Amino acid sequence: MELTLNEKKLLVVLGSMGSADAAVLAEKMDSRREAVVQYANLAGERGLVDVEKHVSRRYTPTEEGRAYIGKGLPERQLLESFGETIPMRDLQSHPLAKIAIGWMRKKGWIAIRDGVVQKTGATAPGPDEAAFARLGESGAIEDGVGVADLAKRGLVQEEEAVAYTVSITPRGRELLAGGLDLQEEAGTLTREQILSGSWKDLPLRRYDVTKLPKRAYPGKTHPYQRLIDEMRRVLLDMGFEEMAGGIVQSSFWNFDALFQPQDHPAREMQDTFFLGERWPLPAGYERVRDMHEHGGETSSTGWGGTWSAAKAEQCVLRTHTTSLSIQHLAQHPNPPVKAFCIGRVYRREAIDPTHLAEFEQLEGIVMDEGVNFRHLLGFLKEFYAKMGFEKVRFRPGYFPYTEPSVEPEVYVDGLGWVELGGAGIFRQEVTAPFGIEHPVLAWGLGISRVAMLRLGLRDLRQLYRSDVEWIREMPTYGGRR
Amino acid sequence: MAIITLPYRYLERLSGTDRQTIIDRVPMIGADIERIEEDHVDVEFFPDRPDLYSPEGVARAMRGFLGIEEGLPAYTVRPSGITFSVDPGLAEIRPYLGSAVIRNVALEGEAIESLMALQEALHWAVGRGRGKVAIGVHDLDAVTPPFRYIASPRDRSFVPLDFEQEMTMEEILTDHPKGRDYAHLVENFPRFPLIVDADDRVLSFPPIINGELTRVTTATKNILLDCTGTDKKAVMTAVNIICTALAEAGATVETVAVDGQEMPTLAPAERVVSVGECASLLGLPLTGEEMARLLRRMRFGAEPDGDSRVWVLVPCYRSDILHDWDVFEDVAIAYGFENFDAALPATSTVAQEHPIPAIAGSVRSVMTGLGYLEMMPFTLSNERVLYANMQRDPSPGTLRLLHPISEEQTVVRTDLLPLLMEMLLANKHRELPQRLFAVGDVVEACVTYQKVAAVSIHPAADFSEAYAAADVLCRELSLSYTVTESADPAFLDGRRGDIIVDGRNVGVFGEVHPAVLAAFDLEHPAAALALDLKAVPGYPVPPGTP
Repeated sequence: MELTLNEKKLLVVLGSMGSADAAVLAEKMDSRREAVVQYANLAGERGLVDVEKHVSRRYTPTEEGRAYIGKGLPERQLLESFGETIPMRDLQSHPLAKIAIGWMRKKGWIAIRDGVVQKTGATAPGPDEAAFARLGESGAIEDGVGVADLAKRGLVQEEEAVAYTVSITPRGRELLAGGLDLQEEAGTLTREQILSGSWKDLPLRRYDVTKLPKRAYPGKTHPYQRLIDEMRRVLLDMGFEEMAGGIVQSSFWNFDALFQPQDHPAREMQDTFFLGERWPLPAGYERVRDMHEHGGETSSTGWGGTWSAAKAEQCVLRTHTTSLSIQHLAQHPNPPVKAFCIGRVYRREAIDPTHLAEFEQLEGIVMDEGVNFRHLLGFLKEFYAKMGFEKVRFRPGYFPYTEPSVEPEVYVDGLGWVELGGAGIFRQEVTAPFGIEHPVLAWGLGISRVAMLRLGLRDLRQLYRSDVEWIREMPTYGGRR
Repeated sequence: MAIITLPYRYLERLSGTDRQTIIDRVPMIGADIERIEEDHVDVEFFPDRPDLYSPEGVARAMRGFLGIEEGLPAYTVRPSGITFSVDPGLAEIRPYLGSAVIRNVALEGEAIESLMALQEALHWAVGRGRGKVAIGVHDLDAVTPPFRYIASPRDRSFVPLDFEQEMTMEEILTDHPKGRDYAHLVENFPRFPLIVDADDRVLSFPPIINGELTRVTTATKNILLDCTGTDKKAVMTAVNIICTALAEAGATVETVAVDGQEMPTLAPAERVVSVGECASLLGLPLTGEEMARLLRRMRFGAEPDGDSRVWVLVPCYRSDILHDWDVFEDVAIAYGFENFDAALPATSTVAQEHPIPAIAGSVRSVMTGLGYLEMMPFTLSNERVLYANMQRDPSPGTLRLLHPISEEQTVVRTDLLPLLMEMLLANKHRELPQRLFAVGDVVEACVTYQKVAAVSIHPAADFSEAYAAADVLCRELSLSYTVTESADPAFLDGRRGDIIVDGRNVGVFGEVHPAVLAAFDLEHPAAALALDLKAVPGYPVPPGTP
């Protein structure tokens, strides 16, 4: 049994006294009463002492009560201020008359007839006066006859007093008889103790391992960033090159280069954030214009009509990272290309728990000789499996810049099949103007949806206006639901 | 998105199969089931397939997909003898007219609702809100041919649909609900488009409203169709889709001579496509025979043309077939997406991290090492948060959204620190100290680049803490820097420093100004820093431009 030094000191004192009040012990031990109670409780848990708690009620005078101490209750003072009789009018001029006359009548000390006050003779002190007298002597009284009356009159107030009596048990005596080492304990190990070797004989204070430490919070990356980094690692592991680029894009790169017709609803101000700025068209933009107007050199008919260069110069906040993919391909038209990008994209949507005006999109492209639709499905299966979605299925889809297009669905426990992203092979109308001669497999997904599934979120806004507590509590590893 | 209601009874009669088969299989031709109800199912079809925007069109496609009836649907047309003239004065207003007569329609029950719904869906998908194409259907027996499409004075009156009294066309634009909805399409023209019959009675004021005179009811037997618009191809797409849908339900189509040209022909378009190109795009070892068989299931006319080519007839209602690959997608759909064997190609490439995310990764590692917690604030903000609260002048390169959706998000952020201050406010009830950082995109004058900002709030936060953090960050990013006194009004005078690299001011740190703290409703001192990551060695040039 390892006792603290304080417990040992307590046992030594109790060895001579047997039993004592904690306040007395505190004086002997040169300590505070509260501290002694704490040591006693520790020793009590080991069965070395008994701690008895006494709760007692006592009464002390109120401010009004203090004013009467030594003089007696007001009715007694008033009674003694006159002889057998006194005219009521005269009595009323006494400063205590207001309180005292009522009490004198109530106690039957006086009778009033024809405006004259007459003593009845039955004026012996009652129990309340006796109690009040004791209060005057000792400053406080225990409960007893008459005290309740004083309390009711607001002359005394109740106080709760707690006392502890500590007694040594036979087991404590036994231990004490065996002798106690009263050497001081050390709280910390010092450099000097280590150097001198005195640590060998040093009684280091022991810690209670069942007590929780003070909670510390480390610096951490955002849970959503960790998910993004996980996806980046998956794609880097699969041999992809990472792309990055501007948030602001010309309509040319965001829409026209992707064969999105100029009257497409996505190009209206209801759906897309337009800016007042314009950006000059790149060299060779005429090939994109021709593709829109009549299909260029391909088997396409194009959209027909007249293509407007002015419309293509308008800047927008990118609605997808596909604008970066097509620019990357335009710069690297020769196979093979495997590239990906994770970046913020913008839609003109009112913000609510499941819709935001900005969110992250992931996009991957693969261009090589001989790649085909089966390979697109292969990449999708591989990527989703690495993200923890083992079951994937495919349905026909529609995206303006891919043909064929596919909508992948993943199976999520508790939710069933969930549509996650879109994919397809870039249309020749998209690739031909940039001299890209081989199929481009492309897929993308809004990863805030994955974050909702993985982080168990109900409100997407939590990702961008985060509660510090949420980030502090979300484990760095194993954040999966 | 077009959500089409398919009543089971009507669909079963038209398609010759049961409702469960359709519900199970329709997603595999390209659709999302929205709702399954007692007597109907609501299905969302893609915007490139307006021919599926009616139960008649869906039944036609499903009969092929399920092998009940394959190949090109045969539609015969004969002349009605009716003529329609187009006023040259419409050339600058609404030049194109497509028309047809459809006889023996049966509009009882679901058929009339299906026709009205098809018209609305086409107005959206093909007509782009009636601007590009507007459709009118009329009871042919209420009027007398020949018909004229004219540019009329704006004060001409007639009784519009759903009204009992005559109104002038100008009154219609202000007083009729449809007039108010679509006034923007015509109000700037000196004359308005109008369709009248031989007796000068009004059929329609396209693209706004028809006349009450030719209202189509369940009792209507013969229909005159008008499609007017600004794009000839889109006008004919609408004519073809409506005519063939009604023909699927048993009606007969007759042509109208529009300025001497008989229309519609409902004739397919021819295309000769390569078997090898299709096989290599889809990764399937297809023969011409197999390709043709699969295309007939998608209601194309298709026959092998030698070993290497397939001769394809594209139905007149398939406006989505622009390119040979559009045909190949239909081959894939007929083959069944579920039957494809997913595989990875042999393509060999080497992974390459982009330098910007790599730099951002290093910043995260340093800042988390210093005990900071990462935040990922929105990139859209407003000038109150970015500038006014920070006591700073707006950056001259600030990009303002032309049509913001809320007062909170009107500009693209040019700095991250104000957004972190906002985060401190949102987390005011959480335990201190709080040390937050963010690294990410900012945009000035259309150029996207990256910054890092960090802030520490607690009763003892001071200049020394900010300086120490800024020093660690710069050292860890291999930035050799000097510090000069700063004049940034977001910080306290005498307790702020600018970070100078190669003579350029690339960052700032110090004690946040108490007026800034007050503007963000914060109650404790804060130490903060911000750094432009363009200064970091190895930052790619140029940064992101449009």
